[in-house]
Amino acid sequence: MSDLVIDADVGVVGAGPGGMAAATRLAAAGLSVAVLDEAPRAGGQIYRQPPVGASASVGIPEPPSHDQGHALIHEFERARLLSVHGATVWDARPGRLWFEHEGRSRLLRCERIVLSPGAYDRCIPFPGWTLPGVVTAGALQVMVRGFGVVPGQRALVAGSGPLLLPTVTALLGAGVEVVAALEASSRWRALRAAPGVIGNAARRREAVWYMKQLWRHGARLQWGWTVFACEGDGRVQRAIIGKVDADGRPRRGTARTIEVDVVGAGFGLVPSIELGLRLGARSRYRPERGGYCLVVDEEQRTAEPTVFAAGEICGVGGAEVAAAEGAVCASAILGELDGRAAAPEVLRAARAERRAADTMLRAFAPLPGLNELARPDTLVCRCEDVTRKQAQQAAEVHGDSMRAIKMGCRAGMGPCQARICGPSLQAMATGQNARVMDRPVVQVPLKAVRADTIRNAPEAC
Amino acid sequence: MSETADIVVIGGGVIGSSVVYHLAKLLDPSARIVLCERGPVAGATSGACMGHLMVTPDTAQDYALTKTSVELWARMNEEVGGFDYNPTGALYLAETDEDQEMFAVLHKQFADNGDRADVLDNKQLREIEPGLAADVPGALYYPGDGVVLPMLACGAMLRGARKLNPNVVVRPHCAVTGFEREGDRVVGVVTEHGVIATDTVINACGVWAPDLSERLGEKRLPIYPRAGNLAITGHHVSPIRTQLLEISYLRFAHAASEIDPTSVDSDKGGHAVNMQPQRNGGCLIGSTRQFCGMDKEINRELLQRSLLRAERYAPGVAAAPIVRTWVGLRPYSIDNHPLIGPWDPVDGFYIAAGHEGLGISMAPITGLLIAQQIAGVETEIDVTPYLPSRFVA
Repeated sequence: MSDLVIDADVGVVGAGPGGMAAATRLAAAGLSVAVLDEAPRAGGQIYRQPPVGASASVGIPEPPSHDQGHALIHEFERARLLSVHGATVWDARPGRLWFEHEGRSRLLRCERIVLSPGAYDRCIPFPGWTLPGVVTAGALQVMVRGFGVVPGQRALVAGSGPLLLPTVTALLGAGVEVVAALEASSRWRALRAAPGVIGNAARRREAVWYMKQLWRHGARLQWGWTVFACEGDGRVQRAIIGKVDADGRPRRGTARTIEVDVVGAGFGLVPSIELGLRLGARSRYRPERGGYCLVVDEEQRTAEPTVFAAGEICGVGGAEVAAAEGAVCASAILGELDGRAAAPEVLRAARAERRAADTMLRAFAPLPGLNELARPDTLVCRCEDVTRKQAQQAAEVHGDSMRAIKMGCRAGMGPCQARICGPSLQAMATGQNARVMDRPVVQVPLKAVRADTIRNAPEAC
Repeated sequence: MSETADIVVIGGGVIGSSVVYHLAKLLDPSARIVLCERGPVAGATSGACMGHLMVTPDTAQDYALTKTSVELWARMNEEVGGFDYNPTGALYLAETDEDQEMFAVLHKQFADNGDRADVLDNKQLREIEPGLAADVPGALYYPGDGVVLPMLACGAMLRGARKLNPNVVVRPHCAVTGFEREGDRVVGVVTEHGVIATDTVINACGVWAPDLSERLGEKRLPIYPRAGNLAITGHHVSPIRTQLLEISYLRFAHAASEIDPTSVDSDKGGHAVNMQPQRNGGCLIGSTRQFCGMDKEINRELLQRSLLRAERYAPGVAAAPIVRTWVGLRPYSIDNHPLIGPWDPVDGFYIAAGHEGLGISMAPITGLLIAQQIAGVETEIDVTPYLPSRFVA
């Protein structure tokens, strides 16, 4: 089988903070560890490293939390483990991770699995969101910080949640004029986040750093505002912005137009749970954590006892939570091998980080009224070109479940498999904004891979 | 909720939707027709199948059924549309020179029915489909076949029905849990949301049709799930423009199975290439057949064999991104013919099920025949071979 099949004690999916923290500790304890990561280098989305040889982030100031990132990467890259980059995991069973790597179909066999695959940007469709020049806030950050690309001259950043700040500061650092930075949550709602920040030294330091950055550039965050629409001839040239009410509903009377050439829209994150579900984990809907999250026990163990999970997959919480939970996974696995429980201080640290994150993110739970931004002719599924009206018509005949909407208009059945449209599709098609969305359905391949990757998969499923 | 209906159709797949559509066309618009579907409309087999419209010329009877039905699809496309109707025709591919001998048989079958098909040599074939492997010796082209997107067709037919008859009610996520009967008559349908009083019920539940008949207190219908593993590519990568089938497909897919469908562990499964271009430039790749109960887990080994065969004919498949694979359950009837008509032991109870892999092809004619039988008018074609009464004894 040559190198197509790898054997390890532990397989780790994702080389972000959660995966790095777990893998480094497990390797240090003498276990054989193999890490599968989609990106070319370790770091995850948050600590993304520029491609080898590029000098991307020169000149762009980094928040203090990135010290932790550098430390994690430093230790990870020196650890005795196998890290496979550019790997797409497309199917899994307990003890087995099938992945595509450089066009080849490979398999990782392992006793235990640690999942830390991160999250997706939450997209909320609005008129013009598919115009060239309109991207997610996360994508803007990756362009600027990860690849040194200056995406435009006049930017609008709109959305909700703590991730708007790194996007805004990255743009400012790259010399882009941020015409407006809009947070849909009201200042009062955001105050609920305060205990989660004030009570946590690292988050406090981080908040102060971001405020200083904004002051230095004379930028400010407008609370209770969002983007209503983007317009332009072939690419974005204008944005219509305005105030929203406490539920996120646009107050159309407040609309005004600004000239921009790039827009980053980020309404928080959605946990990437498909791999966990495929492996037998259970999930639960938690709006403050971004939607469906894996359910884990105190030691980050899923319902499938050989599978552990850390970070956003258990609910959006940020890099500190991920790293702390990654450490718990490692401690729990090492404990199992020694017949003891995970180290209490490691569990305590993770619990504290998670508590702080939950408190903070409660203030930025998705606002249902934002689903009213889309007009009847706005595309809601950009893979299959389905408009909101078509999705509504589908729901009306086929039923109001997620599967019914898919069957009635193909929405969510394209290359993204509802990763982009899924979180708001059902709400927008049924008008039942506050209802709990249907659990995502897991189908193989978990991400698109070549037909011959599936055909050549080592071992039966 | 207590209500009455003239007719209750159970099952919101392509058969149930077609029954509703043709009832709406044939009956007075005052007729109240209720469709109950326990999941989403098109949420089961009709949302997990290929979409080929296939004329099978083996016998005059099969030809009449399938040809009429495929023509009805074209008419429905004019009447309601909205389901990616694409009359691509079909290419029956030979793999070896010996395979080409089968062309003559198929060609004669079409000719015997007064239809035509063209034998193409390697050069003619490659002009039509340059993405095929250079060594495919030839093909038989039948222009009368086509492709639809079945799940959209279900919604389109139901919308069309409601336009014709405002008393058509579509009720997804409404499971039927039982029936009310008085002696040999059905008088009501019990759903999870209440009882519907009615004297006419159609069981269009596909692989679940036996369960439903059992709930009425009748014997199980001899219909068995036959699983198919399918894969679909991303957009704009389809190496083909015409629907492709291996010439061996006909024998493999539409001949009566030699395997006992009731013994779910004995069938190792088989496959024959069937590839369909999609409106968005994707390609649907099938198909496998296996009796394995209601299990909808992918059989990776069968799927791999199926992909390998697809690559053999269209090498471009190898590098195409697969965005999804899944399993659909075909309702295989024990004598390889669908059940279309009244269930004699119970007045007012009709069956429209058991179409195996030709449910999409046969949906319009099935709906029409049921509607004509209920309306008491002469049927489009002779329905005798399809009457469920053959299984009553």
